[in-house]
Amino acid sequence: MKTTNKKIEVVKPYSLYKWTTNFKRVQERFFDNQYKLRRIQQIEDFVALNNYRSVYHVHEVHLDLDIPETTDITTADLILVTHNGYSRYPLNGIVDKINSWLDTGADLYLCLNRHYLNIDNQKIDLDLPKEFLPAITSWLKQSLPMATVVDLSRNYRDNGTQFSWVVPDRQYFIKRT
Amino acid sequence: MKKLIESFSDYPMVSDRSEVSKHNYIRYRIGRIKHEYWLKNRKSKDKILVDTYDWFILNNLRPGNTCMFGSAGYYLDQLVENLTVVEDWPVVKWFYPAATIITDRKEFGTLYPNTFDNFIVVNNRGDQWAERDGTVEHIGNYTKSLRSGGLLFYSFRDTQNNEWNRLTTDHYKYYYEIANIVKEKYDLNLLWHDIKFAVKEPLPPDFTDYDIMENPDTTNGNIKFVFQYKDNTHPLDTSFLDD
Repeated sequence: MKTTNKKIEVVKPYSLYKWTTNFKRVQERFFDNQYKLRRIQQIEDFVALNNYRSVYHVHEVHLDLDIPETTDITTADLILVTHNGYSRYPLNGIVDKINSWLDTGADLYLCLNRHYLNIDNQKIDLDLPKEFLPAITSWLKQSLPMATVVDLSRNYRDNGTQFSWVVPDRQYFIKRT
Repeated sequence: MKKLIESFSDYPMVSDRSEVSKHNYIRYRIGRIKHEYWLKNRKSKDKILVDTYDWFILNNLRPGNTCMFGSAGYYLDQLVENLTVVEDWPVVKWFYPAATIITDRKEFGTLYPNTFDNFIVVNNRGDQWAERDGTVEHIGNYTKSLRSGGLLFYSFRDTQNNEWNRLTTDHYKYYYEIANIVKEKYDLNLLWHDIKFAVKEPLPPDFTDYDIMENPDTTNGNIKFVFQYKDNTHPLDTSFLDD
């Protein structure tokens, strides 16, 4: 090591990630022209076309959505989850949380980030497809037998340019049957 | 109506026009988080900030030439002898003119053949978004720059890799297998590894105050390897990782 007159301060690694909540707005400034994320349009269209009037939005990143929002989950007819953090729950925790959202009586539009799923490396006792993306849908359907699970996701190979940390890529409509 | 896009590549970016611009700087910063250490260290007259993983690397380097690639390595230039900083973003020249800029990892074999005694890659965003085979190929390109006996410190995160099934694959085995593959392909011998995943507590009944943080060490990566090229006798001291 090079010698130095300065004091070397050794710290425990800490998270240096910033901009989380403003990630969308930061990325928007990379472009000259006005654009809109297709996956945001998809959510707005879903809300409008299905006539939801009171959406409780659980979010992390500011998405600037044009939807009728409510801050009171008990009055919501749709719960929209775009917060990446829920994808970092253990898998059984995600299912428990989905059930708690459905217990409010509202329908659920759930966005999961594929890259976080099973973050704690648990063995799953289910028969799942070999391919990852169909396996996510199969896991949800098998884990929620009392609900209808509709996969609204677009399948693609993520190369880091698809805004997956703005709106998580796996999108599901879930409704109690 | 605004144009709908799904990917960065669906629309030209402002930053495409100029390699050195505020836009490119911000994009670079998002991917090179240890740049923050450099911002702090260059201003301080009496102190150099490093973390325990840096400290582990610094105290285990072999004498000779060291390369840091894609890791904002200039934050260690006050502490590492004969340091070559290589990046793939031209904007780095703006604030660190000594950096070498490459466009393809294959250039290591021609620019710096058998040159380095240490090669360091710490959580390089550009190395991620690869399949495991892609990671192995990157390591192969770095190995072309290593002298016999040279060390490769390689760390990354699991949450930006592609084309593996996180629901049906044992994460630990999947990543540890990299060590077996690079031994076979490149004669890189594993000296040390640290592969850690989140350990989650049971969810509280009301779901409040639950830890939704990521895997350990998002800064340096939760998967860490140290390899030695064509040798396995370099003594590593892991006590420097202690808090």
